[in-house]
Amino acid sequence: MKLIRKLPGYINIWTWLSLIIVVLILLPNVSILINFFTQEADNWEHIQEFILPDLLKNTSLIMIFTGILAIFLGTSLAWLVSAYDFPMKKFFKWALILPLAIPPYIAGYTYNGILNYTGVIQTTLRNQFGISVDQKYFDILTLPGAVFIFTLFLFPYVFTITRAFLANQSASLIENARLLGRNAWEVYFRIVLPISRGAIVGGTSLVLLEVLNDYGLVQYFGVPTFSTAIFQTWFGMNDINSAIKLSATLMFIVFAVLIIEKLLRGRKKYSNTTAKVRPLNPIQLKGRKAWTAFSYCLFIFSLGFLIPFIQLLDWMFLTFDKIASPEFTTLIQNSLLVSFIGAAMISVFAVIIANFSRMHQSFFSKSAARVTILGYSIPGAVIAVGISTVFIDIDNLLFSFYESIGMEPTLFLSTSLFMLISAYVIRFLAVGYNSVESGFDKIGNKFTEASRMLGMNMTKTFFKVDLRMIKGPLISGFILSFIEILKELPLTLILRPFNFDTLSTQAFQYAGDEQIHEASLASIIIVVISGIAIYIFHQVLEKEPN
Amino acid sequence: MRNKLMLVGFILLLTILAACGNSTEEGQTDNTNEEETTEEASNSEENASEESGGEVNLYTGRHYETDQELYDQFTEETGIEVNVIQGDDDELIARLDREGKASEADLLMTADAGRLHRAKSMDLLQQVDSETLNENIPENLRDEESQWFGLTKRARVIVYNKETVNPEDIQTYADLTKDEFQDKVLIRSSSNIYNQSLLASMIALDGEEAAKEWAQGIVDNMARAPKGGDRDQAKAVIAGEGDVAVMNTYYLGKMLNSEDEEEVKVAEQLGIIFPNQDTTGTHVNISGIGMTASSKNQENAQQFMEFLTTEAAQEQFAEANYEYPVNPNVEAAELLQSWGEFKAQDLNLSELGENNERAIQIMNEVGWQ
Repeated sequence: MKLIRKLPGYINIWTWLSLIIVVLILLPNVSILINFFTQEADNWEHIQEFILPDLLKNTSLIMIFTGILAIFLGTSLAWLVSAYDFPMKKFFKWALILPLAIPPYIAGYTYNGILNYTGVIQTTLRNQFGISVDQKYFDILTLPGAVFIFTLFLFPYVFTITRAFLANQSASLIENARLLGRNAWEVYFRIVLPISRGAIVGGTSLVLLEVLNDYGLVQYFGVPTFSTAIFQTWFGMNDINSAIKLSATLMFIVFAVLIIEKLLRGRKKYSNTTAKVRPLNPIQLKGRKAWTAFSYCLFIFSLGFLIPFIQLLDWMFLTFDKIASPEFTTLIQNSLLVSFIGAAMISVFAVIIANFSRMHQSFFSKSAARVTILGYSIPGAVIAVGISTVFIDIDNLLFSFYESIGMEPTLFLSTSLFMLISAYVIRFLAVGYNSVESGFDKIGNKFTEASRMLGMNMTKTFFKVDLRMIKGPLISGFILSFIEILKELPLTLILRPFNFDTLSTQAFQYAGDEQIHEASLASIIIVVISGIAIYIFHQVLEKEPN
Repeated sequence: MRNKLMLVGFILLLTILAACGNSTEEGQTDNTNEEETTEEASNSEENASEESGGEVNLYTGRHYETDQELYDQFTEETGIEVNVIQGDDDELIARLDREGKASEADLLMTADAGRLHRAKSMDLLQQVDSETLNENIPENLRDEESQWFGLTKRARVIVYNKETVNPEDIQTYADLTKDEFQDKVLIRSSSNIYNQSLLASMIALDGEEAAKEWAQGIVDNMARAPKGGDRDQAKAVIAGEGDVAVMNTYYLGKMLNSEDEEEVKVAEQLGIIFPNQDTTGTHVNISGIGMTASSKNQENAQQFMEFLTTEAAQEQFAEANYEYPVNPNVEAAELLQSWGEFKAQDLNLSELGENNERAIQIMNEVGWQ
């Protein structure tokens, strides 16, 4: 009797949908991973001897420092704008997300353009004041330089997710602590950091995975990491098996880190016990404190957005006549089209899996949740190969079907936008998922359980209760994946149909060939569109708590 | 309420935009009648493209807007549409490989001979017997089995600070490893294909041991850990971080003609040396083109290849991007002529591809980052 009553709850539509999504994600990855165990890699020993130690050193240094700095910047800023009032705070609430609009490799080129010998700073010093400076103080093409760029342009992941969490999270905890006489620092370290742990981990893992995945910046900065080594062994040495071994090593590291975090977190869960979720009441800062908070925000905003943006604008004016053309409207349409569809699909999938995973405490549901991150941890070019292999196989299977409906047997799916958009979904599902998951973390299961107890089924509960409660995180997941796709590169480059150009491919076309001035127009449009998206969704988020 | 309205409004807006974009998408998936593609330059005559003479599908690793002008010209002259996917050389080859026989691509264009050789050795290209191509392109700049053809040449040269270096001291690549240039040599990282090809050419000409010795000498003399692009090396010379740098000719051409006057100033302070004039010659690489094994529009593809080697097209190639034309009847741009004639490595460029893997291994072994 008990079993029969249990069944519908455990194997229902959610399970099936999650299963399908997981299979879709795994398919391309498995086709690659299988090689890890089966194929001999010619250069593996050579790699282990000569380059692996350096890779491990550089990659871990960059990850550790970027991670720590991003957590510091992200949480401190999120805490400031959530818990205090100071001049222009409303503006900073969304402006501090803007650095995400600038792809790190564009930021790298831009900063180098500002700081190098022909850059505005040295030129002014030299031409106006006759001062020649030692290059080493202006050299950003270093490992610390890469950390600087990664931190500044990726910390908003930590910032947004933590802020969305703090905005209407356990105001009671924080206010109680204040009432009990804790000062600002104590509240920050003893309350804010521990309770936002889920959000911080979610945001930081996005930052770190993004770092692991980056190719453009580290390649330009001359800092060998896993991704540069993967490209070099794959393409340069023509040894795809060694490249896959490297990717797999990288993935094992990623999974190890995530699992360790889960274990450390153990059973500590912080979710609301009361239905009265209310926003945190900010404290009004006055005088020097207010200006300190303001200056801190402004400083980070300038470094992460204002300065590179102005430099890009300057370059845009230099090259505008040469570059601008009516084609740009098509580029904008194309970019919006794929970003929107991709982000929408990611949001739907993320909700399905996150909901499934929290309702079912099974091995499969836990693995499903981890699988979402798979696409994010493998370099884009490697994913591209996996995906196109699968699609071409499907096309081959469908050849007879194409013929039966009067089409020529061609690569129909694998030359369509369908493949590209699927690739985006696999690649960026983690971005949407992390946000949604932290939303579910926040509300816990109590409301859902109450609703179920009151007789609504899973699906009804989902639409009437859960979905409404996670609207905020869902929307922020949507923005983040929208922007990600808008600036995405290797997948778009390699999987797009003929004649399908987007803003980011246009920017790459120039920047990849050291024509950073010419790349500025497309980059600026990417930044502006992302900026608008960030602003609009911020408005939506702001009104969320009621 | 208002927030919902805004959300709905934004979604609507995007959907409308998406719908506009959709028409483009459909146009591409059936790949027949491309009237609304991005590729149509605003001012190009549309008449030509309407009386469709078929199409040709191109994967290209070259990213210059002047290339697009050439494609448009070809369409105008022949009525054949040129459909393009731009990407990284390596990734395009990988894509071609995955697509196999069903691939829609007819042509592969890359910015490095080694890559073309790799595509050939993966059986992705096919032989093209064309008298026009053979006449227009010198023998060492095309594949022995006519599977790929060079279109433009670029030389990898040494530039030096005119104030601090006596050009007499630096006449060969080997001179870069001399003691007097300790901590003075600027060169980008080993992940750069131009450096890989340079070393590959040395393996072919001087043997593995000599090449490794040279690479070790370069690493010992580096002014700083390799970083940045070719232009960054040039700037570092003038900034005083080193005295000599290795770079491709067209980057120097572009710096001399930059919109940024500071870049022009830097380039003007640099002297240029074509190394190894008395010995093996200066390292030259090409960007080139090959017909894919799976090509479904072979005639159009061949016509397109031939078009790109005609004198008119070669002139435009060379003039716009400061590359050397492969067609011996076409003169290089004035700027390049002012640098003088030079002796190039006497080497079939296939060797660059054959030695690429070994070159990377050597670079790793000597610690060239």
